[in-house]
Amino acid sequence: MSLSILLAVLSGVGMGYFFLPITILPSLGVIIDIGLMVLLFFVGIDIGKQKGIFGVIKKVGFRALLVPLAVTIGSILGSILVGPMLKMKINEAGVIGAGLGWYSLSSTMLLAEGYVELSALAFLANVFREISALIIIPLVAKYFGELEAIAPAGATAMDTALPVISKATGPQVSVIAFITGVLCTIIVPIILPIILNL
Amino acid sequence: MLVTLIKYLGILFIGGVFGYKGLIKGKIEANLGNIQTIALLFLLFIMGITIGINDEIISNIFSIGLKAGIITIFTMGFSILGVRLVRKYVVLEDEEVES
Repeated sequence: MSLSILLAVLSGVGMGYFFLPITILPSLGVIIDIGLMVLLFFVGIDIGKQKGIFGVIKKVGFRALLVPLAVTIGSILGSILVGPMLKMKINEAGVIGAGLGWYSLSSTMLLAEGYVELSALAFLANVFREISALIIIPLVAKYFGELEAIAPAGATAMDTALPVISKATGPQVSVIAFITGVLCTIIVPIILPIILNL
Repeated sequence: MLVTLIKYLGILFIGGVFGYKGLIKGKIEANLGNIQTIALLFLLFIMGITIGINDEIISNIFSIGLKAGIITIFTMGFSILGVRLVRKYVVLEDEEVES
């Protein structure tokens, strides 16, 4: 899958760089808008299928919701703090953190809003987050704490990173990780436009 | 901004209803994963085109990559710190999560 993603992006870059005129951009905007809707619709289906999620939250305790909240606030705060050092506007830096590791949605949402360079930055930063999360989760679990191991994953805690979290921690933390991933996935399309327009 | 937000949430909600009620069945349900992958790869291909078509981004791709790396370190670092701050309030089945 990772190779397919890399190939899709790189072949698109090659096509755009060598063959296509810049006048095609407005048409691409329409395609991106439609593609984004399709992507969100399918994510909605995935979330809707998790019928037992509220029961799980009730069982684990509503205080477990503090974890996705902390992950979201921490991510946005981190990118906002480093933004000025990279000569970025605070809201533009904030949206990168608000992607919570979900590179496809954050980058296409920014593209749909007309931010091409910011979209590329969101894509790379969130791809880096997903890849490095898989590497550092076991280390965070060992040296910082099991609950903290959920944090690097962000939205990917419900899918890609879940097996790694599960292996590095235990069943209880895995349940909280899954809840965190689902809630982060719901949060991203809500907070991203809000932060962008601050 | 409000229109964008409503549009995204609306689609997410409609998808959620479809998933919850099990309205998607048969071959489409069996191939949901494949359809999602194709849609995602197509979208990323289009994103690649918009990047490739823009000379300014191509010439700055390494500095954009460096920025992305630095931001990633900060977002992950602060999210770990955030969870560290709330961990004492998160109790599972009457026992603290061990560190």
